[in-house]
Amino acid sequence: MKSPISLGLGEQAISRNPEDILVAYGLGSCLGISMIDPITRVTGLIHAVLPESTSGLDRKDPATCYKFVDTGIENLLSAMINEGANKNRIVVRMVGGANMLIAPGLTTTFDIGTRNIEKARTTFQRLNIKVAAEEVGGHIGRTVRVYVADSRVTVRVVGEKEHEI
Amino acid sequence: MMQNIVPFDHDLLEKLETIASEGIKNAAVGFSGMVGRNIEVGDPRLELIPLLTIPEIVGGLEDDAVGVYLRFEGDMQGQIMMIIPYQKALELTDLLMGVENGTTQHLGSLERSALGELGNLCSSFFLNSIAKMVEASFRPSPPAVMVDMVGAILDIVVATVGGVNEHVLLVHANFMDGPRIVETDFWIIPDMKALDLLLKKKINA
Repeated sequence: MKSPISLGLGEQAISRNPEDILVAYGLGSCLGISMIDPITRVTGLIHAVLPESTSGLDRKDPATCYKFVDTGIENLLSAMINEGANKNRIVVRMVGGANMLIAPGLTTTFDIGTRNIEKARTTFQRLNIKVAAEEVGGHIGRTVRVYVADSRVTVRVVGEKEHEI
Repeated sequence: MMQNIVPFDHDLLEKLETIASEGIKNAAVGFSGMVGRNIEVGDPRLELIPLLTIPEIVGGLEDDAVGVYLRFEGDMQGQIMMIIPYQKALELTDLLMGVENGTTQHLGSLERSALGELGNLCSSFFLNSIAKMVEASFRPSPPAVMVDMVGAILDIVVATVGGVNEHVLLVHANFMDGPRIVETDFWIIPDMKALDLLLKKKINA
């Protein structure tokens, strides 16, 4: 079997090869956002780190845009459309956005996870795209796998088997 | 590219290595006192590394690990993360508790708090050494201990510095009890203001 395509922090992958599996390992507060056009099988995933692009950065710079939820979603969408995906068919699933730090006095200021989730929801709302499924929040790390062959998205947490969402 | 890392030069790194060495050795003394046995720490090694290369150093992002995290405030601010692969954390717990290797099979609240205390002590002694040199004072927060996937633990560090401070100080340290050695890594992530302070004081280490 082909080894899966692993996405590091702030990376993106698009594939229509049925042998490919796109993976983001060990998401904590980071958000794995998958977009799939089930008809053309154009399948995309990003591993976003922070909610929004800082001012002054080029919103389309491929070196930095996937680090942020807002510009990551926008750019993945246009890249997928370029590859033949149809916006109206795109199925979105999100995984991650946990609040990993449970300690007195620390949680509220550093809850990037929740802010990532909120940003993703509002960005998709603005783009008029529905989020089909999400497994987000809480205090636990997750691995997301996207199977190009059958458009499945799975989640795995520590000590458990992967399950489909 | 070293020259891209504005606030850090080689000299400063060497000085910090001396500080880290002294701080962590002091921590070992403190820890030995706590557990009533002579626990030593080998000469720590310091590296300045790009944040995004951390996963390569730790290994599998999906692997189980233990993280001990604390922040410090005061004249300087920043955060410290100690991260240990799960299996090593069990060995380290055996070492700390003075029991035979392989005894600890699971990290309950007692084991977690022992590891938390280790991270706490090492960090505090390290910070105290810096504080003395730059005549500043810091207050560390209580340690937070978590057991999860490596990637998820790293996200705490990544998310808080992302986009601002893209390099972290990595401290490798070995804890030794006689012939038993357990390697650990710490990440120290000072904020930009903290680096300024270090530079201005031109540490006399």
